[in-house]
Amino acid sequence: MTNETPEVVKINKWDGAAAKNAIDDAIREVFTGELKCKESFALIDGRLFLCALAVGVALYALLWDYLYPFPQSKLVLIICVSSYFILMSILTLYTTFKEKGIFVVAKEKVGNVTRVWEASSYVKKHDDKYKLVLVMRNSNGKTREASIYKSFANFLDTNGTVVQNLIVNEITKLYNSLSSEKKEK
Amino acid sequence: MLDSLFDDVKRMNKRQFIYQVLSFGMIVSSALMIWKGLMVVTGSESPIVVVLSGSMEPAFHRGDLLFLTNYPDEPVRVGEIVVFKVEGRDIPIVHRVLKLHEKNNGTVKFLTKGDNNSVDDRGLYAQGQLWLTKKDVVGRTRGFLPYVGMVTIYMNEYPKFKFAVLGCLAVYVLVHRE
Repeated sequence: MTNETPEVVKINKWDGAAAKNAIDDAIREVFTGELKCKESFALIDGRLFLCALAVGVALYALLWDYLYPFPQSKLVLIICVSSYFILMSILTLYTTFKEKGIFVVAKEKVGNVTRVWEASSYVKKHDDKYKLVLVMRNSNGKTREASIYKSFANFLDTNGTVVQNLIVNEITKLYNSLSSEKKEK
Repeated sequence: MLDSLFDDVKRMNKRQFIYQVLSFGMIVSSALMIWKGLMVVTGSESPIVVVLSGSMEPAFHRGDLLFLTNYPDEPVRVGEIVVFKVEGRDIPIVHRVLKLHEKNNGTVKFLTKGDNNSVDDRGLYAQGQLWLTKKDVVGRTRGFLPYVGMVTIYMNEYPKFKFAVLGCLAVYVLVHRE
């Protein structure tokens, strides 16, 4: 399950979600590989923590109800059920407002400035257009944004194989334009 | 074909895989928590039951879905349809209250009978048991949805079919990314 060997990724190109995931993965590799950034997992770990907590609460309720059959377990069940649904709403808020489709957060040190790159992608249902938004945050508080809006055809070949070169080019272009813009100021 | 099915999984990194497992867990636990939530709201240990026999025809048919409540301050009355458990039987029974004795301190004992049965339920109760009490009651029928429960009945009659359906769903959720 590791992506260390540069294997060829082939997907069903008519499956929008699969295409999006494959391109997302390829972009992540560009950041950790070619651009030598360090991936930060805080955002996804936060989501995993919320999910694990919710499942844990449900398992706890199941166990408690098994050990102390219903009328006895009422109080624990009330607490578990309400906290479960609160956790679910927090999770929804987290994914819609905090994660917002961000699939990779990469950090990089340039001199004494730390730059954080956040890449998020969106694909509409039954659409072939892949929208990538790249946000760069400097540790001195500057934020820059760039985006591309292109068909899957720009990243996949006719067989549905991800063309890593095209993605590297695309990302390096964005990366350079965002980095150099900063220098002009 | 089968190979490409698992391609998605093979390509996932550790965190994506954990998320996949957790999101499957959340589907199961959401259903579980809705059920437990209904238990708390209705006060019944089994708020929804399926009628398995024709003993209550013409009121209820095989496959009807019943919604139950079991509030402690609502007394059981003659003519009501209750769902009760009998010692030594796994499946609760849905029958109508035929006779009821209530004491001043609130304790009740009652006898039930299926509308479509020619005799009362004493033959169904545990050996030597003549009356049901409040602790035997799972709930009182509050509403019903006809025929929906047939799915459950078929699933229970053909367990292999049930496991096949559930297994397919589980594999689909685990293998498919978002």
